[in-house]
Amino acid sequence: MSQSTRRTLLGGAAAAGGVLAMPAILRAQPAAVKIGILQPVTGALAQDGEYGRLGAQIALDEINAAGGIKSLGGAKLEMVFGDARSTPEGGTQEVERMQGEKVAAIVGGFASPIVLAASQAASRYDIPYICDVGVSDAIVGRGLANTFRFGPGFGIVTSTALENLVKLNDAAGKPAKTVVIVHEDGLFGSGMAKLLNDQLPPRGFQVLETIAHPTPSRDMSNVALRIRALNPDLVIPSSYYSEFVLLARTMQQQRIRPKGVYAILNGAASNFRFVKEFADAANLVMDCNHWADPRKPKTAAVRAKAEAGGRFWLYNTPLNYSCVALLADAIERAGSTDRDKITAALASSSFAGHIMPYGPTRFEKGQNMGAAPVNTQVQGGDIKVIFPDAFADAKPVFPAT
Amino acid sequence: MRSSYLPIAIAVAVLAVLPLGTSSNTTLNFLSFALIVALAAQGWNILGGYGGQFSFGHAAFFGTGAYGMALLQVRFGINPWLALPLATLMGAAVGAAIGALSFRARLRGSYFALVTLAFAEVFRILANAWGFTGGAAGVLVPLRIEAANMQFADRATFYWLVLACVAAGLVLTQAMARARFGAWLVAVRENEEAARALGVDSLAVKLRAITLSSGITALAGGLYAQKFLYLDAGIAYGSWISVEALLAPIIGGLGTVFGPLVGALVLLGLGEATKIALGHALGGAVPGVDLVVFGVLLILCVAFAPRGLLGLGANVRRLLRRPV
Repeated sequence: MSQSTRRTLLGGAAAAGGVLAMPAILRAQPAAVKIGILQPVTGALAQDGEYGRLGAQIALDEINAAGGIKSLGGAKLEMVFGDARSTPEGGTQEVERMQGEKVAAIVGGFASPIVLAASQAASRYDIPYICDVGVSDAIVGRGLANTFRFGPGFGIVTSTALENLVKLNDAAGKPAKTVVIVHEDGLFGSGMAKLLNDQLPPRGFQVLETIAHPTPSRDMSNVALRIRALNPDLVIPSSYYSEFVLLARTMQQQRIRPKGVYAILNGAASNFRFVKEFADAANLVMDCNHWADPRKPKTAAVRAKAEAGGRFWLYNTPLNYSCVALLADAIERAGSTDRDKITAALASSSFAGHIMPYGPTRFEKGQNMGAAPVNTQVQGGDIKVIFPDAFADAKPVFPAT
Repeated sequence: MRSSYLPIAIAVAVLAVLPLGTSSNTTLNFLSFALIVALAAQGWNILGGYGGQFSFGHAAFFGTGAYGMALLQVRFGINPWLALPLATLMGAAVGAAIGALSFRARLRGSYFALVTLAFAEVFRILANAWGFTGGAAGVLVPLRIEAANMQFADRATFYWLVLACVAAGLVLTQAMARARFGAWLVAVRENEEAARALGVDSLAVKLRAITLSSGITALAGGLYAQKFLYLDAGIAYGSWISVEALLAPIIGGLGTVFGPLVGALVLLGLGEATKIALGHALGGAVPGVDLVVFGVLLILCVAFAPRGLLGLGANVRRLLRRPV
């Protein structure tokens, strides 16, 4: 009996407290807007996922510190994080959970298979989905109204890469004539190799050999030896981080020095971790990849925040930072957390507050038409932009030997 | 006869009413996936559990079913309701072919395991390279939500479809275990020479077992393809499903009717539960710690229940029944 009275008393006190606190509640923040951030932070893609999450976190903190979403009375953005576990079904499962948590939109995915599955799952609930990195052309080619890609797709990256390669070679007096292609046997490596085999000969390059390797690979000696035997002017690698680092180190150890290493969408060549840890192997490696715009003042600020935690500067971070900022802008303009309104605002967005070198966004069938990769080169322990000329901060060093 | 199907009916009935109790699509999505794995594991259990032929390459069948399902729809415009049985038959045919090649060569034990592993890898590499399967870009089944298209607006409907397949698998396993074929299969597992001496055609028995086994696993692959609507070589023929398909019966109880189902639900449920629990506790600050906990639980499971969870249950019952 005494317990029941105590409970009644407590209940009464709580109710009274609630009534007294009412004015405070009325003045308090509007409900936070939940944003799903989907990244693979375990499994084979864990490193990329972590850097993607970092970028999203920086953007969310920044937006919240600046007063949240003003059209929603200063509503704060709240991250609902999901670990895609580097698999499509892991990503789908997290989308279902995010739907349960009533997110307004989802950003991320990283790898194409995860993005393909997760955006499809999101489309069942009309959740706007912004793909951060996945380059497969199928992502925006499916007619899903909810799916947007802020970055460039495979087609535009490869055509830019080829264009710049020719430009680079011509400017140096055409020193490179023969090429060896090294690629991982997954989605982007194989597609890339096929495309290069079609596109390089008409541009005056002879492809000596195309070497495929699986991901993960633990030994690149045979690939390196084959390159030594073929002695090409140019090596074009298209691999994930670990495999390319291995290849570059093995080539360095065996003193294999082609006139240039020209990577396309490479996991390592525009990664400061590689540059810092293996400075000699990385020196003068070129890459055509996603890269933040060094001209924009905000880029340096984001980079400083990313590096403050002892992290490296990878493209995942600025891409996710920009995607979240793009989404926040859409929510701001929609003035609502209604998913259809956010989707419409994204589709009509012309957002320039991002830190990628794209210009204001313009979406056509979900693809940001201005998105383009840049060419970088590792020079003296730093990653410099060598193309496009409009904001290159260094001249290409080619041929390297 | 009387009660042998009763446990199956009860288990299926319990699983069937689950969607009515939860409106959470997260749960339904998870359960559908777990049941697909359970179905793949049921296939493995017939060959590995009852027949004692440990395959490390059931991905070859799972992937064939999955690719069959996706490609029949995408490339030939075949309705999924027809594509699913066709994909199952394709998987069974691949199983029969691999079985004929390896059992005729009298491969058994670790040699058979290695050969199946190799087949799965060969299939993965071929699917990755061949333009017809979409190469490394994979195949995407277009999203068109219609019941006639085996894509349902309500998650529960697909769950029930998968459950119906699992139920069929349970009944089939039970019927097989009670039939003469099941006895032959166990005889081959226990001592092939002795079985042959008693007049069991061990080659024919093993061939039938691998065909049945691969058909069921291929059905699981077909359902996977229809659930996620996207496949690439690493998903369809990747070693993950070979491992899941053999781990579930081992955890649940090798060569038992319910072993694969119990194992898959416990295994995946444990993984999901540790992920959610630790996600709440740590806020995702330490990625992968759930997998560590999951691994430890798995080791404990295998250490203390070497005959699977069902075996552990039987032990406990025996202990309780023992007069003090």
